Amino acid sequence: MTDVELSYEQARAELATVVEKLEAGGTTLEESLALWERGEKLADTCQRWLDGARARLDAARQERGAEPG
Amino acid sequence: MVSQKIGAWVGKLGWVWVDGQLAQITRRPGTQVVFLTLRDPSADLSLTVTAHRDVLDTGAPNLTEGARVILHAKPEFFPARGTLSLRADEIRQVGLGELLARLERLKKLLAAEGLFDPRRKRRPPFLPRRIGLVTGRASAAERDVLTNARRRWPAVEFRVVNVAVQGPTAVPQILDALAVLDQDPDTDVIILARGGGSVEDLLPFSDEALCRAVFACRTPIITAIGHETDTPLVDLVADMRASTPTDAAKRAVPDLAEERQRIAQARGRIGRAVAGLLDREQHRLDALRSRPVLARPEVLLDQRAAEVGALRDRAARCLRHRLEGGAAELGHTVARLRALSPGATLQRGYAIVQRPDGAVVRRPDQVSPGDPVRLRLAGGELTATVAAS
Repeated sequence: MTDVELSYEQARAELATVVEKLEAGGTTLEESLALWERGEKLADTCQRWLDGARARLDAARQERGAEPG
Repeated sequence: MVSQKIGAWVGKLGWVWVDGQLAQITRRPGTQVVFLTLRDPSADLSLTVTAHRDVLDTGAPNLTEGARVILHAKPEFFPARGTLSLRADEIRQVGLGELLARLERLKKLLAAEGLFDPRRKRRPPFLPRRIGLVTGRASAAERDVLTNARRRWPAVEFRVVNVAVQGPTAVPQILDALAVLDQDPDTDVIILARGGGSVEDLLPFSDEALCRAVFACRTPIITAIGHETDTPLVDLVADMRASTPTDAAKRAVPDLAEERQRIAQARGRIGRAVAGLLDREQHRLDALRSRPVLARPEVLLDQRAAEVGALRDRAARCLRHRLEGGAAELGHTVARLRALSPGATLQRGYAIVQRPDGAVVRRPDQVSPGDPVRLRLAGGELTATVAAS
């Protein structure tokens, strides 16, 4: 499943496991690098979801003149 | 001829007990006969009754209009004016106790039929387009409902039908009003309102026909009859019972200001809820992201670099040891070599004599005079021949 379709929860859950694996150690250098790259991508996905939601919330509230955030 | 036939035919009819409400009592001076108009409490029907004054005075003393009576009478036809009337030989007023007892019986009957069944009650609409109001003309009840409803929701629309709210004509008028309002497609709630009154005044609101009509109405009905403590049967049948006309207005119409405020509150709360959720999730994400393995991946590499470094150092150290060991060993062997090697003795002035075949001459007999020999000196070699042995 490409990251685009990952839901926020799925991305964050996988990110959590990536961090656990890295912190547990015992992975090869190659695997650690790959894991780290995966982690960064997942974190970006999560951030995109959050930024999107924040933008929608502020937009909706602006629309109705309510105080943002 | 025809009148005689009718008269004869009517004469055959027997005595009957009739229950009804006295609408009018006319006592003509000088005659013994009293004329009464008897009405059916729940329908637009009335009959004239004639009775001898004594019958009245003994059976039901100080009878007043609107009183509920039972009379024992026989139908009579007066050919002269072609009218039918009842001649009563006994009249009894229905006491309040009797009336209330009847009311209780009726209540059990209606309950058994399920007219009070809460499941059958319909919820009035939250915001009615038009409210049907059945109440006494210019009555306090009417004023209370209208003013309170309008104060709460200025745009409310009313359709008022004024009716008699007590006495024999009340029920028929209310039934008509209900019918009219129930058919009106725009009226989506009907309020039946009446101020306080005596038990007799409120009796029409426990009338069976009225209760059945209210039950049959498609439009939800709110009743506000009498004081808070009064509960006529129609209250039990109605879809909603209000304690007072003002209360009925409150239940029929939401308070605009209150609703606006609730909506604003709701909006605020959902906004804050979502914002809160976003903040929490952002913090969690930041927390994950700040973990060293993500924030400073070089940590992983440093670790490995350190490991490699350590290994390299160890390797280097081993090598050095080995080399040093080797060097030391070499030193020893060289020393021993040197110790064993003739070099030192030659230094001290000795020389090694060798035969051409390389054998070292240790004894004179190993050579004979004239043999060539090699002399190895510290500084070099000489060749010589043996002179004498």
